[in-house]
Formats: sequence, structure tokens, C-alpha cells
Amino acid sequence: MSLRLRWARGAGVTMIAGLSLVAAACGSGGESTAAESAGDGKLPAEIKLVGVRDTTGPVAYAGLGAVKGTQLAVEEINNSNFLGEGVKITVTEKDSANSIETASSEVTSAIADSGVAAILGPAAGQQAAAVAPVAERSKTPIVFTQAGSDGVVIGKYTFRATSPMDTYYHLATEYLAAKGLKNVTVLYNATFPTFAQLAEKTMPDLAGKSGLTVVSSTAVQATTQDFTSPTRLIAEKKPDAALFFLTAPQSVTALKQLRQAGYDGPVLGTSVQGGGNLKSAGEYGKGVIYPTDFSPAQSQGKSAEFIKNFQAKFNALPDQYAAEGYDAAWWIARAIKASGSATRDGIQQGLAKVAAEGFEGAMGQLGFEGNDMRVPGVLVEWDGEAEKVVTTTP
Amino acid sequence: MLQDVFNAVVLGSIYLLFALGMALAWGTIGVLNFAHGVTFMFSAFAAHLVADRVALPAPLIVVLAAAMGALISCLVQALVFQSILRRARNPRAAEMQILIAGIGVAVIPLAIAQRLTNGAPFGFGSAAEQAQVYQVGGLRLTTMALVVIVVGLGLGVGLAWWLKASKRGLALRSIGVDPETASLMGANRTSLALGTMAVAGALAGLAGALLTYQLGAISAETGDVLLIKAFAAIVLGGLGSQAGVIAGAYFIAIAETFVIVNNWGTWADAVSFGLIFLMLLVRPQGLFGRREVRRT
Repeated sequence: MSLRLRWARGAGVTMIAGLSLVAAACGSGGESTAAESAGDGKLPAEIKLVGVRDTTGPVAYAGLGAVKGTQLAVEEINNSNFLGEGVKITVTEKDSANSIETASSEVTSAIADSGVAAILGPAAGQQAAAVAPVAERSKTPIVFTQAGSDGVVIGKYTFRATSPMDTYYHLATEYLAAKGLKNVTVLYNATFPTFAQLAEKTMPDLAGKSGLTVVSSTAVQATTQDFTSPTRLIAEKKPDAALFFLTAPQSVTALKQLRQAGYDGPVLGTSVQGGGNLKSAGEYGKGVIYPTDFSPAQSQGKSAEFIKNFQAKFNALPDQYAAEGYDAAWWIARAIKASGSATRDGIQQGLAKVAAEGFEGAMGQLGFEGNDMRVPGVLVEWDGEAEKVVTTTP
Repeated sequence: MLQDVFNAVVLGSIYLLFALGMALAWGTIGVLNFAHGVTFMFSAFAAHLVADRVALPAPLIVVLAAAMGALISCLVQALVFQSILRRARNPRAAEMQILIAGIGVAVIPLAIAQRLTNGAPFGFGSAAEQAQVYQVGGLRLTTMALVVIVVGLGLGVGLAWWLKASKRGLALRSIGVDPETASLMGANRTSLALGTMAVAGALAGLAGALLTYQLGAISAETGDVLLIKAFAAIVLGGLGSQAGVIAGAYFIAIAETFVIVNNWGTWADAVSFGLIFLMLLVRPQGLFGRREVRRT
């Protein structure tokens, strides 16, 4: 019910924001009005971007990570004169503070400022779904990270730099097949569409392809905090592997209670377990395997370079959110270069052009389905302290 | 089957532990404290910060969280609720203002915890892994589950007895019935209210620590979810009745466990709250509440 309310509220906010935008969008014509130009003369000296992301609130981890990734990318773009001598990208960050209204208001303000060339959108699905129509109507390119819900990538001006979990979850099922683990159980949070889709649609499809049998599939809600009963049911089935599609706090509890219920087989999770979210599980978290779009354990190509540079700048390992923020910013920079224009329409065309060709980013060789990014993904194991890359070789 | 009953009792004890302090303040001094959830969370969070730096035994962590809960609750009462009670035009306005103030106050510790954890779950590190598992007949029991049951039921029954049988408990209940008359009879309303809030806060802190051990980790938002369950348990059991809170907490837990065991997990909230709705239609005062008598 609360989700429905959120959606309804989001739709209302979208309508109001849309009406308030009409004048601004018509007036600006989507053109950048930066006074000076640099480089080859076509691009302005300063290309302004606005980031609207949660830097406080329950999903601040995603927003803060994306902000850091973007900061590193912009520093690299500017320092290397990627867009030409004297052409700089600047990003003004706004906190959407876990609020659909705030996200909508900040995006509306950014659109109304004709000097803003593009927007880096919020990670929360409800916020993204609320602002996406606003960006589309005003013809302002917006690149989201995370935001896995439907209704986010809805037209020419909306882009997403995060590959949905279901596009790389095959890494987990292939691993299970390679290890000869046939019977699996699924425990999932049915409140979140991403997990529900993974459990109810993607997993049965992938299980069929990999010769796995889903012996039980147990749904819980976002409000479920104690897992003694669901984990008892799983332990009774004695599966070859147990799969969790749960939020980070739920995963910790479910892991602990699954072990206490007597199950000692392998456990596979999702990218939610990344970013050190299994630390609080202690011993119970050791050995959990999950596919993710990026891991700081990756040691090759652009990923390794990104990890090294991130560590040098922030004195910490990057998480997947940082990698997504980094690739989103580079996508925009490449778009500006590809189109030779920093206008909103120019960036939109450039983003589509880059998407058609793909490029190598922090998350590896990036491909696209329309305006939606696709990544090769990586299978990792949490060893209690850090992630290590897992191969599917038996 | 027996394991499911045991699991339901553990879940009920979790809800009970959380609801006890909230029910105490609401049922006696009339404070529906919506900051109870963050008191629960922030007490555990403070203990987590200490446990992260200093290796402490589990009982000391629990005491620390309880003390933190008492402190937070006293501060909220002294700085916010008391001030509202002094200025409010009438008790009904005060109740509403306290409710809103509780929601407002709750935002501050929540924001601090969210900022410091970046949304990641937190626990008590290796101390949380010490729970032993025992196999008794067909039952798998953990030490922490047994602690949660014993402490939850012990405190629930003890509190109900204290409120009914002790002189101070009687004074506290008299405030809930008629604060003006109770004051005239010698009950010190301000100090009793502060004491009640201290106990309620300590219970929230105790629940925070024990549940963090039981669950392995909690998040900054965990208290919000439990707040709704506790609210339901109190209303179901009957406001003002500690026995009612005990019954309400276990009733919800049994309903939820039944739903989950039958693999209708997405209906857990709908079924448990639907049952409450039906109960209130039949018996609006709740299971153990007394019918309100209005005299003209």
C-alpha cells in the first residue's frame, strides 16, 4: 500500500512539476547559453551538469558512491582536456534526501536553468520514475544510475548507466551448473520489483537453461525482519544452494538464521551484498557468492585503472555505485565529444551515438540496449573482509 | 509444527520487547511516543559504535544500550513533551502535539544514523556470533532466542504485575485515568512521567540490543517497521493493559508465522492487520481493554 501511495504521490508531483516546467522549457529551447567558448570553438568553456542524488537517507550509500565516481571522472575529463583545451565540465550536486518531491523540485530547477546541459539523475526508482517524464517533456538529457524500476528509461532523453540485475544474473546460475549444484531454493523480498522479477521470472528462465530445479521459492515483504520460519523451511529442503534476493539488513539476518537452522551449503546473493554490506554478518557472511556489475576485486583493463585512481583520490576502494557514477559521467563526456555539441539536444544525440557503439568503462566493456546500459558483470565471493573474483571453471 | 510454534513465540517476544516501553508510556501517562522506534535504533547504534572500538561482553553492551535509551527518552520528555504539556490548551491538543513532536524528534537520530552508516546494516561484530544452537528433540533452539523469550515474557509479566500491585504502579495508572485528581491525591505527575519515560526508553534500548543480537544486524530504519507492529499489538491487546500487549504481540506473530509457513509471505502484513481490523469491529476496546464509560 505504501508503495502505491508513493507511486501515486510521484505521479502527482510529476504532473505539477511538468506544468511548472512548460514556461521554462519553451523559453530556453534546450540550448546552452554559456557565454565563452573554448577548444575548437564549438563547445563552451564550462559545461554545467547537475547531479540530483540521495546523499542522505536510507539509500545515501548509492548516492554518495555515485557522486564520488562522478567527481573522479570529471577530474580525469578536465585534466586530460578530453573535450579540448579550456573546456571544463562542472557538476553541482543536489541532495534528493530520499524524497520524491525534493528530487522533482531539484530536477525542475535544473531544467529551468538554461545553462545546465544535462542531469545525473537519482538512484531511487520512485524518484527516477517521477522525474523521467519531466526530463522527457523538457527535452533535457538525464542519465540515471541504479533506478531499476520500469518507467525510468521512457524516451529519447532518459538514459540509465546501470545494468539491471537480471541481465547478468546468469553468472550465478552458470556457476551453480558448473559446480553440479542442481536443487536450489529462493528467498526473496517481493516488495521490491527488481527482486520480485529476479525470483519470479528471471530465475525460472535461467534455471531451465542451466538445468537447475527451484525446489522452493519463498516470498517475504520489505517489513520482514525475522527469518526463523522461512529459513527453517529452506533448511528442511536440504538444497544444493540457497539463493537470497533480499535487502542488505534482511540478508544479514537471513544468513545468520539459515545457518542456525542447520543449513551449511552455499549461499548466493545479489549485488546488494556489495559495498561491504556483508561486514556486519561476520562469520555468517563468509563464502557468500553474488554477481555484481562491478567489484573492486577486478584487476584488468579500465576497471583496474579506475580502482587505482579512485583509491588515490579517496583513500578507499570504490563500490559499484561509484563505478556507475564514473561511467555515467564518462558517457556524457563522450557524448559531447561525439556530437561536438554541449546543447541539450546535442548531448542527447551524442549519448545515443555512444550507446550504439559502446565503450570501455569502470564496469568493463559496456554495451547498450537502446538507452539502457549492459555490463558483462562479475561473480564475486565475500571472504569476510573483501570480495574476490570467482570463476565458473569447476 | 513444534518448530513453527517456537519460531512464532520468538517473533512474538521480539514484538513484545519493543512494544512494552511504548505501551507503558501510552497506557499510563498518555504519551504515544513516535520517537520510540528511533530510541530503540539509536540505543543499539550507540552501543554498536562503542562495541566497534572496545571489546565488551554482551551483557555490558545490553546495559549500555538500555542506559542510552533511558537517556534519549528522558531528554525527549524533559525538552519536548513536558514543554508541550505545559503549554497545550487541553489534553486532547497536547496528545496530538506530542504525537507530531515525536515524529519530528525521531528524524534527528535517524538522520545521524543514516549519515554515519550510509544505509548499511550494523551489529555488534563478533559478539553477535556467540549464540549457541541446541537440538532438543525436534527443536533447534539458540541461546539468544531463549534470552529474547525469557526477557520479553519476564518483563511483560513483571511490568503488568508492578502496575497492578505496587503503590507507584497504582499512582502511575491513576495519572492515566485522571491526571488532575491523581495530582490532588499526591501523585507527582512530572516526576512520575519522567520516570515512566526513562523506563520506557530503557526498555527500548534493551530491545534494541537484544534484537540486534537476535537478528545479527539492524538498519537505521528497523525501528520504524517495529513501531507499526507495536502500535498494532497495543491496539489489539487493549490500550492500558500490559497483559493485552503480551497477547497482541503473540497474536500478530502467530498470524505472521502461519502466513509465512504456508508460503503466503507477501500477505503477512495484510493478514495480521486484517485480523486486527476484524477484532476491533467485534471488540473495539481490544482483547483486554475495558469498555470506556462516559459520564455526563
